[in-house]
Amino acid sequence: MYELKAVHKRYGLSKVALRKIDLVVRDREFLVIYGPAGAGKSTVLNILAGITRPTSGDVRRDGVSILRIPPERRDAAMAFENYALYSHLSVGENLAFPLRARGLGGAEIDARVKRISGILGIGHLLDRRPGLLSGGQRQRVALGRAIIRPADIYLLDEPVGHLDAKLRHKIRAELKALAEDLSATVVFTTTSSREALALGDRVAVLNQGRIEQAGTPEELYHRPANAFVASFVGDPPMSFLSVTPSRDGDRIAFATPGGMPVAALPANAVETLRDEPGSKIQIGFRSNEVRLAGPDDAGTLRGRVDVIENLGYVKIALVGIGDDQVSVSFPADQRLSIGETVAIAFPRDAVHLFQNARAVAHAAPRL
Amino acid sequence: MASIRAENLVKRYGAFRAVHGINFDIADGEFVAILGPSGCGKSSTMRMIAGLESITEGAIYIDGKRANETRARDRNVAMSFESYALYPTITIYENIAFPLRSAAIEGREIDRRVRDIAEKMELTSLLDLKPHGLSSGQAQRVGLARALVRKPSVFLLDEPISHLDTRQRYRMRRFIKSLHQEFNYTMIYVTHDQEEALALADRVMVMSDGEIQQMATPDEVYARPRNAFVAGFVGEPPINFVDCRVRRDGAGWAAEFEGQRLVLPERLHRAAERVGDDGLAAIRPHFLSIGSSGPMVLQGRVFVTEELQDQNLIFVDIGESRFTIVAHPSVKPVRDEVVPVAIDPDHLLLFPRSEAKKFEDLAA
Repeated sequence: MYELKAVHKRYGLSKVALRKIDLVVRDREFLVIYGPAGAGKSTVLNILAGITRPTSGDVRRDGVSILRIPPERRDAAMAFENYALYSHLSVGENLAFPLRARGLGGAEIDARVKRISGILGIGHLLDRRPGLLSGGQRQRVALGRAIIRPADIYLLDEPVGHLDAKLRHKIRAELKALAEDLSATVVFTTTSSREALALGDRVAVLNQGRIEQAGTPEELYHRPANAFVASFVGDPPMSFLSVTPSRDGDRIAFATPGGMPVAALPANAVETLRDEPGSKIQIGFRSNEVRLAGPDDAGTLRGRVDVIENLGYVKIALVGIGDDQVSVSFPADQRLSIGETVAIAFPRDAVHLFQNARAVAHAAPRL
Repeated sequence: MASIRAENLVKRYGAFRAVHGINFDIADGEFVAILGPSGCGKSSTMRMIAGLESITEGAIYIDGKRANETRARDRNVAMSFESYALYPTITIYENIAFPLRSAAIEGREIDRRVRDIAEKMELTSLLDLKPHGLSSGQAQRVGLARALVRKPSVFLLDEPISHLDTRQRYRMRRFIKSLHQEFNYTMIYVTHDQEEALALADRVMVMSDGEIQQMATPDEVYARPRNAFVAGFVGEPPINFVDCRVRRDGAGWAAEFEGQRLVLPERLHRAAERVGDDGLAAIRPHFLSIGSSGPMVLQGRVFVTEELQDQNLIFVDIGESRFTIVAHPSVKPVRDEVVPVAIDPDHLLLFPRSEAKKFEDLAA
């Protein structure tokens, strides 16, 4: 187990990359660090690898500080975002390098190079120099060089970020299977929600050097701690609508500029709201959890279609309601026009409640 | 506003032919995405429209007038590049204002337009900074703002929203789309990302190997791809392909794959005639399910299940092929489990395998 304890990292005088974060990497887990560009994701990996020293705080392995252990003695295998390949060596030699350095025999090396290059679809490139490869090919070599050898921890910095969609899809599955096979401890960074949810046993959402929330994909998706996580986890992102809540029997009623939608939160969720005058109260819901209402649906939300997005298998209408815009998905073959007024129906499990961007209640997910 | 027409457009760099004599029409106010992998000729095509690249053969017409000899700055075409080259010594504000100053627009109007676009693109807090401290996503937004602030008659956007995280991508995409709806610019959006192309464009021009493979609405390129390349390039998760043989079946046709036989619906009869022994069947992950009902069920072995929360992606090995299936979040088969996979024949597509080979060779 690796632990970052109150790790703070400042570059130069003023640029703070990490703000006293606590993070645990459990043995044999696949941990995804998910955040926007500039959040501090690479810094976390570099600190775990020992390449970067924290400004303050501690890094521990199984409870013992490893701050003074240099990178070459940490047994971390790293794939860098900028590849860092050996330009004078062929692809095959780049892949074999970490194995030779560990004194493995020729036959064993050949077998591993063949297996890993096959998985990554670079078997036909083994004799080439990195300089002649495309960015996507180089990235796969960098990933291969990291995962080809046994390591105490694998640190993969956006290792599929430069691949096209088809390859990313394929290699994501291979990586997940490989990590399972090896029972490997992996820390993987990404800016893609889909990748984070698909790969992570746990996901830590990093934003401006702070961990907004760390948990299982299910926790982050169904019980986001705040509006940032809610809008950041899930593809497409969650929609938010400003509301005025009040008690209505055993439920909450939400007054909005688009009507009084019936949502599924129990009435006692009102009591979880703090008494803070001027608070911004919002409900949040996902485009696939609500639907366009039929004539029989009661208590719907009305608004005007501003934009229609085609995702191929499904379409999304962006519906303007007051100052907000919310999204609702609808079948690709359904006709809908810009400017049309539509009603949105809320199934029982569709709503999250936020006060000043802090989550205060969640409807129970269907599962 | 402007319409654009290309006639037998060719671009050669020495002996290398980047664009192979393509023809297209883009209507005034239309939003067209040029979609394809790197090296397909999409950027060369766009740069010829902008006047940044000479035209080797053929012609480009802007509003019906031949534009081959018109200089770039006289075309009233604005561009935002993938490599958002910002001026390093001046502030973000001045970077955005730059095209307006060179167009001799009055100072107060410049200020109004710069602040307006900065607000829409969430750049207001950065206006006084210089470019060197920006993240790549921020620099990209500045590049886009600088292109948009001119209100030109044609917008050319070259991979304007790569390198962004999921949330920002949606935000930028929606912003660009609303911009188009509001002002009705003619927009050409060059991208390798099929999701951006489908979400944004009125029509998508899919390119590969310097040729247009299909130019049609997003619905059409998704549901009725003209060849195996388009089928494979459009759609997330990617479409599943499997080798098949097509045989006469009474008056109709049947496809055989992975030891199973499926009578083809009439819709596919014409494709079947072209395919013969060397066919490629394709089916989208949304039209496969785990279950044993329906006319065609194959046995597969589960490789990996990805739980995306709103849906599960199940990777299943059937014979030599690895299929992706989109399933409800409650369907969670485990590794190596043997499962029945049902194919919805209404959504099966059929292509000649030779065609797909050609595209694979190109990709390798």
